[in-house]
Amino acid sequence: MHISDGVLPTAVSVGGYLISGLLVAWSVRRTRGDDLPKIAVVSAAFFVASLIHVPFGPTSVHLLIPGLVGALLGPSAFLAIGLGLVLQCLLFQFGGLTAIGANLLMMGLPALLAGWVFYHFKGRKRRQRILVGALCGGGATALSAVLLALLLVSGGEDFWGVAKLALAAHVPVVLIEAAVSAMIVSFLIKVKPEMLDTPFAFKKPT
Amino acid sequence: MNGSLQISPLWLLPLLLVPLVVYSGLRMLVSVGGEDSQQEERDWTVPQLEFTAGKSSPVHRWDVRFKLASILLFAFLIVSLQHVQTVGIALFIAFVSYRIAGIPWRRGIKRLLGMSGFLSMFLLMLPLTAVQQPGDLVLVFGQIDWLGFNLRGLDLAILIILRACAVALLMEPLLATAPLPTTLAGLEHMGVPPRLTQLLLITHRYLFLFVHEARRMQIGMEVRGFRKSTSLATLRSVGNFIGMLFVRSFERTERVYAAMLARGYQGRWPQSVSFSAGSADYLKSVLLIGLGLLLVFCDQLLWKK
Repeated sequence: MHISDGVLPTAVSVGGYLISGLLVAWSVRRTRGDDLPKIAVVSAAFFVASLIHVPFGPTSVHLLIPGLVGALLGPSAFLAIGLGLVLQCLLFQFGGLTAIGANLLMMGLPALLAGWVFYHFKGRKRRQRILVGALCGGGATALSAVLLALLLVSGGEDFWGVAKLALAAHVPVVLIEAAVSAMIVSFLIKVKPEMLDTPFAFKKPT
Repeated sequence: MNGSLQISPLWLLPLLLVPLVVYSGLRMLVSVGGEDSQQEERDWTVPQLEFTAGKSSPVHRWDVRFKLASILLFAFLIVSLQHVQTVGIALFIAFVSYRIAGIPWRRGIKRLLGMSGFLSMFLLMLPLTAVQQPGDLVLVFGQIDWLGFNLRGLDLAILIILRACAVALLMEPLLATAPLPTTLAGLEHMGVPPRLTQLLLITHRYLFLFVHEARRMQIGMEVRGFRKSTSLATLRSVGNFIGMLFVRSFERTERVYAAMLARGYQGRWPQSVSFSAGSADYLKSVLLIGLGLLLVFCDQLLWKK
């Protein structure tokens, strides 16, 4: 779910912009020039994934894949998700102009965390990679749902009900994300395993 | 005057229907005059951002840097307004600038539709779950006393929706009145790192390619008998689909990037847009920001009262 304009208090949207701005700057510095096409690809794929709807009982949910973006890009994931969210806002109005910062924090922080976890725990075995991929996919989505609820509640206690509803709506999404992430990781292990070997380094690349 | 008003439970139905009616009304407005709306499949096309061909309006002629800074600041001023009256005026200003830019309504309505799902959640939930404060008027539906319809919650939801609509309408004058490369060059002049704007431009171009590719792959899957359902098999297919999209796009992009490097690409494109600001640009910015500040000022006055 993307937060639209007019929901967050002004202080929160401005603060979201500032913190995201710093993190984007950090993310850009961790990105090598040669990786730019890869980032453009993953950002575009992140965008396209949000257009894919998976049926769930009578309704359908759309994919988010923040966990996978983190696993594929490492520290650059924040940048990639930022690009995807900016374009979703500019083209479809999914997420408000003034809320881009907050939305980016909501999706980008879980992606960074997922990238870190994936890098450190993926191991060498196929089974373990798939399991960790599922964990990252589901966990990142769950974390972004929690961040969404926190951001909504920042508007005051009137927003508790909406925040709870938003959290509840994410439960099926978390399960589907975990499953789809596992499938994608298992596919990539078979087809292009080097895509899963992105280092998650805090040092500046040379 | 903490009031709770007893009304018939039947009133619950129309109140719950409101978001639905608004949504379907907007949908109808979009489909009228558009292509046939009978396609059961989701609309995969990425909308074209710019609307400049043969167009000239005061907004089109506005220097991009001034336009970006003013409208962005104005948007932040709008979302900090706290009263329906002032937000209404802001919505009217957004409306007028949309008209001045001469952009077809279809585009604006599509933007409003993009937010409708998220916003109807507020319209539905806020009146029912807003915390009761002294002075609130709460409608109670007959015997169902745990479900109170708080009118202050409804006001809050309407305020949020009006703010969101005002900013959404401003997006078209902001983005459609100049080609995206020009807008991004303007951002670069305002201090956004070139690497970021270049990436945004590349990603925007790839988007059309990948959406097309995804659509093609989806048709291929459907031809082979794939139907979506709630099952593990569907999730596996979707996972493979996205994995394949990654692999294909990645390999293609690597080739394109190699070709770009071979042609002398060094992190920026050779031609750059040059900007020159005149007095008219300053005037437009002063007008818009002045109006925004005036609204915020009035808003604060109303709040004190």
